[in-house]
Amino acid sequence: MNTSSRRHFLRQLGLSAAALPFLPALPSLAQGNAGTKPQRIIFMFTPNGTIPPEFWPDQTGPDFQLKRILAPLEPFKNRLMTLKGVCNKIRGDGDGHMRGMSCLLTADELLPGNIQGGSDKPAGWASHISIDQEIKNFLQARPETATRFGSIELGVAVPNRADPWTRESYAGPNQPVTPNSDPYSLFDKLYGSMKDRENLGSVLDEVRDDLKTIAAKVDPRERELLDQHATFVRDMERDLQSPATENLIFPPPALEQGVALDNDGIPKICKMQTDLLVSAFANGMARVASLQFTRSVGQARMRWLGINDDHHHLSHEPDDNAEAQEKLVKINTWLCEQLADLARKLDAIPEPGGSGSMLDHTTIVWTNELGKGNSHTLDNIPFVLLGGGLGFKTGQAMQFDNVPHNRLWLSVAHAFGHHIPLFGKPEFCEGGALALG
Amino acid sequence: MQRFFHPLLLLGLSGILPAQDAPATGDAIYAQHCASCHGDNGEGNPDECEDPLYGDRSLVSLTKYIHKRMPEDEPELVEDDDARKVAEYIYGKFYSAEARAKTMPPPEAAFARLTNRQFRESAADLLGSFGESKPPGEGRGLRAHYFDSDGMNKKARHALDREDRELSFDFGEGPPAEGMKADQFSIAWDGSLLAPATGWYEFKLTTPNGARVYLNGDRQEGDGNRRDDSSAKSQDTLIDAWVSSGAEPRESTARVFLLGGRAYPFRLDYFKYMEPRGGVKLEWKQPHGEWSVLAAPYLSPADATAVAVVETAFPADDASEGYERGTGISKEWHEATTTAAIEVANQVVSRLRRLSGVNDDAPDRIERLKGFLHTFAERAFRRPLDDAQRQLYIERHFAGGLAPEEAVKRSVILILKSPRFLYPELGAEKDDFTVATRLALGLWDSLPDQALFDAAKTGQLKTAEQVKAQAQRMAGDPRARAKLNEFFQRWLKMDVEGDLRKDPEEFPDFNAALVADLRRSLELFVERVVWSEKSDYRELIEADYLLFNERLAKFYGVPVPEGGGFQPVKFDPAQRAGVLTHPYLLARLSHPDVTSPIHRGVFITRNVLGGILKPPPEAIAFENHKFDPKMTVREKVAEMTRNANCMTCHETINPLGFSLENFDPVGRFRTTEDGKPINPVSDYLTTEGELLRLNGPRDVANHAVNSAVARQGFIRQLLQFSLKQNPAVYGPGTVRRLDDTFTASGDNVRNLLVEINALAAVHGVPGPDQASR
Repeated sequence: MNTSSRRHFLRQLGLSAAALPFLPALPSLAQGNAGTKPQRIIFMFTPNGTIPPEFWPDQTGPDFQLKRILAPLEPFKNRLMTLKGVCNKIRGDGDGHMRGMSCLLTADELLPGNIQGGSDKPAGWASHISIDQEIKNFLQARPETATRFGSIELGVAVPNRADPWTRESYAGPNQPVTPNSDPYSLFDKLYGSMKDRENLGSVLDEVRDDLKTIAAKVDPRERELLDQHATFVRDMERDLQSPATENLIFPPPALEQGVALDNDGIPKICKMQTDLLVSAFANGMARVASLQFTRSVGQARMRWLGINDDHHHLSHEPDDNAEAQEKLVKINTWLCEQLADLARKLDAIPEPGGSGSMLDHTTIVWTNELGKGNSHTLDNIPFVLLGGGLGFKTGQAMQFDNVPHNRLWLSVAHAFGHHIPLFGKPEFCEGGALALG
Repeated sequence: MQRFFHPLLLLGLSGILPAQDAPATGDAIYAQHCASCHGDNGEGNPDECEDPLYGDRSLVSLTKYIHKRMPEDEPELVEDDDARKVAEYIYGKFYSAEARAKTMPPPEAAFARLTNRQFRESAADLLGSFGESKPPGEGRGLRAHYFDSDGMNKKARHALDREDRELSFDFGEGPPAEGMKADQFSIAWDGSLLAPATGWYEFKLTTPNGARVYLNGDRQEGDGNRRDDSSAKSQDTLIDAWVSSGAEPRESTARVFLLGGRAYPFRLDYFKYMEPRGGVKLEWKQPHGEWSVLAAPYLSPADATAVAVVETAFPADDASEGYERGTGISKEWHEATTTAAIEVANQVVSRLRRLSGVNDDAPDRIERLKGFLHTFAERAFRRPLDDAQRQLYIERHFAGGLAPEEAVKRSVILILKSPRFLYPELGAEKDDFTVATRLALGLWDSLPDQALFDAAKTGQLKTAEQVKAQAQRMAGDPRARAKLNEFFQRWLKMDVEGDLRKDPEEFPDFNAALVADLRRSLELFVERVVWSEKSDYRELIEADYLLFNERLAKFYGVPVPEGGGFQPVKFDPAQRAGVLTHPYLLARLSHPDVTSPIHRGVFITRNVLGGILKPPPEAIAFENHKFDPKMTVREKVAEMTRNANCMTCHETINPLGFSLENFDPVGRFRTTEDGKPINPVSDYLTTEGELLRLNGPRDVANHAVNSAVARQGFIRQLLQFSLKQNPAVYGPGTVRRLDDTFTASGDNVRNLLVEINALAAVHGVPGPDQASR
């Protein structure tokens, strides 16, 4: 099987598990940097807080039961940990959703600005780099951990609007990073020239066919130029077949075409984005990622669950509105399923050049801008850590005593070997990294 | 102006030369003294004089040249009457264009690919031909909507609507208009941006508040919603500075490639919320321009539709003949067209619903998309599609089970990579679609529009009248205006790379802003003349006024004209004459510290008087400091070029340049140079063989509008720019005939463009009017 037909073969199979057993047999799969144990991290964001009684396990320690919302993670129970009692303590300007979002990964106060929320004073952008970008910079600064992109910021139906409610990742103060919510454009970024080449390969043949038809009817002077043209076409075809374009160790995902990038497209967009994320990691393009579902105050209408109300509106309903609570449980369970799905995809791929699966070398951090929607509290953010990337002691439900989330980001940084003493607002770093090992 | 005849010409005509023994004929003299180097028929000799003996000197000038210079090693061998005889012989036999036209078949039209400009214009019109299209509006500013805000609601109270002419506002601590709140308000400026030229534009937004700039996007529902937390916006911003950061003004920049002569959807959304001060400023930098506030006449309250702009960089077209043409191809060009094809295909797919009018859930979507592509291919190929072509370009892509979007993408890439698109004159058969193709390229550098295509399809391009009527209609289109403007930019050296700068100590006020005004002044002058009813070429050359604004009036020492903006300012007709003495050109054609009679003379020779100059045998830089400081620039140039080799051309160049010595390096009138009086008088031997005493620019202008060679030189330049072909292609005497119509029309430039295109469009195309073709 030559490389081209191999790729075609894999493409036909898509990214289904059925293709995977074939992959290790392919010689090109061995990754160059054997010996270093890769660590990866994904920050997955979902909005509007959770429903605490259906989220937090009743027990602490290794003996715990997953509640309804976390039930989709049952297969990964030993590879995850829940962190209760970790709180976003950042105050200052901006309403709860703004701080919940833009201070989540940055852990410092917002700059003064002109964006007025539903309460509090207006505010601007974050004043601090976010933890994902901090780790990315750390990894990119070292040749052994540097990758093509360093980090990838993905969105699912993030509105086309930049403000403190829609941005969680910051390259520095006043420097929001835009998540890419368009899987087709992300595909182009990751594999763009390849896809174009594939399209070109198919049309160049036809250009040559037509050139022949035309050349039969033109005078010699014209034919000379057309012959020259045909030579360029042939050269380009040859370039396209050169091995340089065949060195991916993992085939790019076959994206479903024509998916509308709107509310109703969310389930499909989500699948495409996680496929792209996993393949980018498998191909060694990045070790850090964020995956952002809508935004803080997210207003998705999950009609595919039979829920027509918008998420944010529902999240304001009081605890005694049983119908709304039930819908919110369903919404959060569905979001948890997306996390489980991402974990499954990572677990299905053997670590390139290493042992175990990719999930054994990746930690997914599930985050939220609020602890609970109807109280707008920034306490008890529903943090779940899943996977073996950071070497934390998984398989336990942890309880902390109202600790600032700055300390969680210190733990994450330290797990990468990035031993910074402080992250974000210094006073909230007291006590240092949380003990998660 | 004094006219007198050159003595040699008198000799030749009156025959008062004393009779000689056995007078040799020109033929015999040529064979004896010239043919060994120049070849029997002036074709040249690779070992001696390689260049063929063709040129545009007058008989007199040729005679004089031979008398003085030929043969090169022994010029005294052929003098006086012998020189005249041999000159007459070669002039009539092969030297002059007329002689060659008689003896040689006219050259065939160069088979050419699209030039880069033609590719970009074609792609824009191809996509623009689908869906709604709107003509560019009047450039008088933008629609402005002012609102009082209330917290998150930026449009709480509609306060007023008006038109604003420029995007620079400092509201200080107060409200933007009387009766409005000072602490929180929002404004939306809406309409279109009119890009004057093709190239990269830079934008710079400065505000301590919030603002977003939208350019060239498809308008979508919710775009105008300015609630803080609105998720309705769907258009991508050019600049997003919505979120402020403290009270300090922030600067944000963007860069974008635009095609000249088109209108682009534009919007600026702005709001102030509780910051101490309010204000917003949007500046831009046009290609070849300087930073300035974005303002009328480049802003229009009219809506526009998005333009498909190809940003791919192309390798430069061949411009060795003085105009860009697509006669050669290269690997780089092939790659660029490939990248551009992909770029366009991506645009088509991302705007597919809008362009095709086919909804994603239409039950017959595939068939209708094929129909869209069929029309797309016909427009791109400029002729109907046959079944085999439809199969190849469209059907095949849908047969393989590809998603419709992928099939569309491949089809579009193939269409744009097709020789049928890239080589507009492909194939030996010429028909009505050929006529349409040529008209669209000649007048617009683009594709036929629907009206023209339909005319070809229904046999309405058969007679000369029908073709001319189409050309006339098309000449009124903004695309013709854009193309003609580009010609004048080139003709008047306004497309020259590199900033126009002068010695800051010598000319402290000649700054970037002044240069931008000078450019604008010349642009406006050309527009005013060419797009007036008369469109009179002579006014371009002879006008005794300049368009000045306040800054220019002050700098050039004339009273500030009334009425604001650029207004005509009259000058002494002896002093100034049209473009010849426009200070932009005078400054452009000068050194930073002193004038350059050579640059000015070359420009007038080539561009205004229709002369052809070969490149200098050796390039010598003018180094002012090497000359005796007591000399004038005129004396220095005369000294530098006095060598006979130089004088071949400089005897033409220098007198023209010297006639403008009354203008300093920034184009101000002067009578002395460092205390020494200026001498602008010089004797100039015209191409027709007349010796003219030039006392200054007015004499040059008079000569330019009356000399057939000069007028025909202008006609030739316009023809070459428009058609990318040489006039000889259209048969001997083409330019002279065009000059007859040009003269009859009162030197109407726009009419000339129509005549050129009507003539070229039917060349070699069989039809009922064949006799007149």
